[in-house]
Amino acid sequence: MSSGKRTGVFVCHCGNNIAATVDVVKVAQEMAGEEGVVCTKDYVYMCSDPGQKAVIEAIKENRLDSVVVTCCSPNLHEKTFRDNAKAAGLNSFTCEIANIREQCSWVHKDRGVATAKAIKISRSAVRRVGRNQALEPIAVGVTRRVLVIGGGIAGIQASLDLANAGLDVVLVEKQATLGGHMIQLSETFPTLDCSQCILSPKMVEVSRHPKITLMTYSEVQEVSGYVGNFKARILRKPTFVDPETCKLCDDCSQVCPVVVPNEYELGLTARRAIYIPFAQAMPASYTLDESACLGLNPIVCGKCKDVCEAGAINYDMRPRSEIVEVGAVVVATGFDLYGQDNLGEYGHGKYEDVLDGLQFERLCSASGPTKGKVLRPSDHSEPKDVVFIQCAGSRDPAQHCAWCSKICCMYTAKHASLYKHHVPDGRAWVFYIDIRSGGKGYEEFVQRTMENDEAIYLRGRVSRLYRENGKIRVLGTDTLSGQNVEIDADMVVLALAMQPSTGTAEAAKVLKIGRDKDGFLAEAHPKLKPVESVTAGIFLAGTAQGPKDIPETVAQASAAAAKVIGLLSQPQLSHAPTVARVRKAHCTGCEMCVDACPYDAIHLANGKAVVNDVLCEGCGACSATCLRAAIEVINATPLQMNEMIEAVLNF
Amino acid sequence: MSAQTPYEPKIVAFLCKWCSSAGSDLAGVSRIQYPANATPITVACSGGVSPQFVLSAFHKGADGVLVSGCHIGDCHYMEGNFHARRKLYLVKELLEFTGVEPDRFRMSWVSAAEGAKFAQVVRDFVEDLRPLGPQDKLKAERP
Amino acid sequence: MIDLGALHTQVRDILETGEVRAVVGWRRGSRGMLAEPVTIATPEEAETLVWDPTCFHNLSLTLVEERKKPSWRPGKPIAVVAKGCDARSLTVLMQENCFRRDEVYVIGVSCAGSGVLDERKLAQRLPGVEPDSAAFDGDAFVCATAGGEDRIPARELMADRCLECRDAHPKLNNVVFGEAQPRAFDPPFAALARFEQEQVGVAERWQFWQRQFERCIRCFACRSVCPMCYCEECVVDSINMAVGADTTAAEKANRIRWIERSASRADNIGYHMTRALHLAGRCIDCAECERVCPVNIPLRLLNNKLEREARVAFGYEPGASIDLPALVASFRDDDPNHFIR
Repeated sequence: MSSGKRTGVFVCHCGNNIAATVDVVKVAQEMAGEEGVVCTKDYVYMCSDPGQKAVIEAIKENRLDSVVVTCCSPNLHEKTFRDNAKAAGLNSFTCEIANIREQCSWVHKDRGVATAKAIKISRSAVRRVGRNQALEPIAVGVTRRVLVIGGGIAGIQASLDLANAGLDVVLVEKQATLGGHMIQLSETFPTLDCSQCILSPKMVEVSRHPKITLMTYSEVQEVSGYVGNFKARILRKPTFVDPETCKLCDDCSQVCPVVVPNEYELGLTARRAIYIPFAQAMPASYTLDESACLGLNPIVCGKCKDVCEAGAINYDMRPRSEIVEVGAVVVATGFDLYGQDNLGEYGHGKYEDVLDGLQFERLCSASGPTKGKVLRPSDHSEPKDVVFIQCAGSRDPAQHCAWCSKICCMYTAKHASLYKHHVPDGRAWVFYIDIRSGGKGYEEFVQRTMENDEAIYLRGRVSRLYRENGKIRVLGTDTLSGQNVEIDADMVVLALAMQPSTGTAEAAKVLKIGRDKDGFLAEAHPKLKPVESVTAGIFLAGTAQGPKDIPETVAQASAAAAKVIGLLSQPQLSHAPTVARVRKAHCTGCEMCVDACPYDAIHLANGKAVVNDVLCEGCGACSATCLRAAIEVINATPLQMNEMIEAVLNF
Repeated sequence: MSAQTPYEPKIVAFLCKWCSSAGSDLAGVSRIQYPANATPITVACSGGVSPQFVLSAFHKGADGVLVSGCHIGDCHYMEGNFHARRKLYLVKELLEFTGVEPDRFRMSWVSAAEGAKFAQVVRDFVEDLRPLGPQDKLKAERP
Repeated sequence: MIDLGALHTQVRDILETGEVRAVVGWRRGSRGMLAEPVTIATPEEAETLVWDPTCFHNLSLTLVEERKKPSWRPGKPIAVVAKGCDARSLTVLMQENCFRRDEVYVIGVSCAGSGVLDERKLAQRLPGVEPDSAAFDGDAFVCATAGGEDRIPARELMADRCLECRDAHPKLNNVVFGEAQPRAFDPPFAALARFEQEQVGVAERWQFWQRQFERCIRCFACRSVCPMCYCEECVVDSINMAVGADTTAAEKANRIRWIERSASRADNIGYHMTRALHLAGRCIDCAECERVCPVNIPLRLLNNKLEREARVAFGYEPGASIDLPALVASFRDDDPNHFIR
């Protein structure tokens, strides 16, 4: 069978890198004998300017329709030679690379053996290119609006950066207010500036920004589409209070008969069923917690509605769904503290005076339940001996979390320091494994805590603690002195591990983006693509991606915003055209490809599979799954594979 | 192959582009030497390797077939290697069940950073194939 | 046991009311004791349907063939009489969108207290005799011959797949006759386990299979009788080809010949291995392939092997649910990884 192909094969010597081991002349000779090959050349450096020119000349002179360059890894010069082929008037997809350097000449010494292998590799590329189709990148329009999920510092920063760049932003937050965990902190290390003082203005800016649509008390339920063109369905939960009308008078909360733990204060205080999370909450409005309310019904209670002079309360509000179209998504769903129930040995959740770090933040905060006084929850006395336990749950692959939560060394130092400022005659004991204080001004801060604030640092773990005579007896080891330590503590503060929030798990599911083994969102590349998810158009910011402190979170949020701005500044996006194609006559509509596709790129229409070219990444999972050879990836078809296998085996 | 030439196993190696092929590139960059028996065919993803490719390689006379992808959890396409693992497990079981030496089919996870591992995978495979001799159970008797 | 009269009434009713447009069942065959598949469309024909130990055929195949006819049109459902295994096969077909659930009216017949017989076993047990009929009778089959009745213990005559039946009661049904009792004499995969005990090493296995595959004459009876082999074109058959409006000339010219059609050992193996892999997670062990094989290749072993692997390694049971994704289109995080370097 004469293929009618006009393929040129260009064998690169790569100086001596290839030619010393592979008989390049013989490779060229062998390829000249292959069907469809009408021209072969070998040259010392094919990627050099004269080399590339020689290829262009040969293409024109021999009226080539396809090109194989046998040289180094396609990772290095596939683009070079495809662009070069294009410059000569060919379609860039009619150029294939045969890697005879990294995968051959560099790893074998025997010239005969290496040459034989190089011939097989080259022949298989010739067979492949013989059936390559000319393709053009797929152009995709873009929606210049961005969905930001999560209203903590990461989401706030990303939203502001995006909005200030002129993009429309939809910021969705699950809770009734912006702020996330950062708004719960009292002061921030290492400068001890007040968290509320630096975050509140940003929250206000978000709420006032004309480019930002803020959706609090809302959840992203479904996201479909692809880069540049996502559709998100957002559930707006009813707050039963109209924020425009609410005057923040607090009358409703005063009359509400229901008392439930206050989440913002981590259960250290209580709130009513109708409440404002905290004074600076944004949006500045009350929320009626449906799950706590006696019945949203004047017959059952109705006190709040009666007392509201502004008439802001409406029991008839219902959840509603809103569809927003966006071009990109930033996921900033944050962290949760590693569950208290998981650390029974430290008595958390069992003893009132064993607190987690966030609870301690609230105790230190001037706006907190104790108005900034450090007092024991059990008897409201001032604790004189406070034990801080670092790595509570972190760095413990056998029992708890394998990872280092990164911020605990610093915030524990901060806690010890704040405590000493509040209770100068108290003693702060810190159990630690190592001190990890890499960061600007961090190490100095820890040293100050030790030296100026005289916190007592003990290197070792706490084996056990139990309650005795109103105190908490802490048994531990100081591994530096080799002594066992027993402390009768008034309060214990656990630096619980950071774990991905439940919202992060939900977002990953909704967005179909990967998570790492620990459940944090997986970045596309750990070094080079730290803010990209594996799905184009979805970006990551903050602790949802891994433990990090505020400056790092802000940096990542801004980086994610910059990536989005770059993406959406293009008038059109282009997508690789090597996508799956359905052979309709063969398709039985069994849907196996639909299930196998990691990108949800395939659906059934009229009983046949249809590929969304823009969603398809060309991985071939569909093709390998189809029993009927009814779907294949263009330019990597089973027919091409079959011939490449033949070429490799001299069949 | 003439009667005098000592037997050299012929291996078809399906390598995923993102991890294993990149790993074999790294072996090259690091100049780690390994036997030339395995000829690579780079595919987008191990999940795109149809069982048919494996059977076909044996049918066309391969003495061994290697499929290598990204480590579980690292797949560029998120799930491809999970699909590969399940499908090719069935292939492996079927081959063994029908009396094809289990050492003739091999899978490995080789990351882009594991040049040395890739070389070792090939070395081990070649060593395991040598004692088995040429594969003629599934090989078609054609040119 | 099944009340055949009740089944007839049911069939007559649904045909009379027009709830279904036709009923696929078994009737007395034209020769000897064997039942044969039939499609009836009038209430009067209801009486012709039979239920006895020769109702081997997996009638989902008849349904698949009906669907391929140009006369097939969506509309009222077709009813089909289905044993436990047949119902599983219908489930797989629905899982693959071959039929919608509402297109098929499943008249389940439970094999509790019955099961089909194996003609080869019968021929060995009663050499040279062709019984006129076979019936269930508790733990025995009663075969009527010219010389009288032979009562043969079920275990001696029953098809292997029934001895090991995974589920005698059709889960998928619109109506079901017979009790929901297990019937198996042996645990599932007993014959497979026996084979594995007898043929231990790779060499022994090869010896065995080599003999089997060398015999194959590539008549494709196994493919023809398999309800799962409903593809327009078989990927490992270089002759048949599905051609549609979008089939290009290049496609026609470049049909992949994974293997040749001729009956050489390697090509035979290629065919049977591909078939086994394509049936993984889909074969529900109706064992029709093995029954129709003219050269007695134990095909059930191949299919059972992969069915058991799917069950053990992946927790996957073919024919368990319409909504399940296919075995090879899904995975679990803890699928076996031990075989990977």
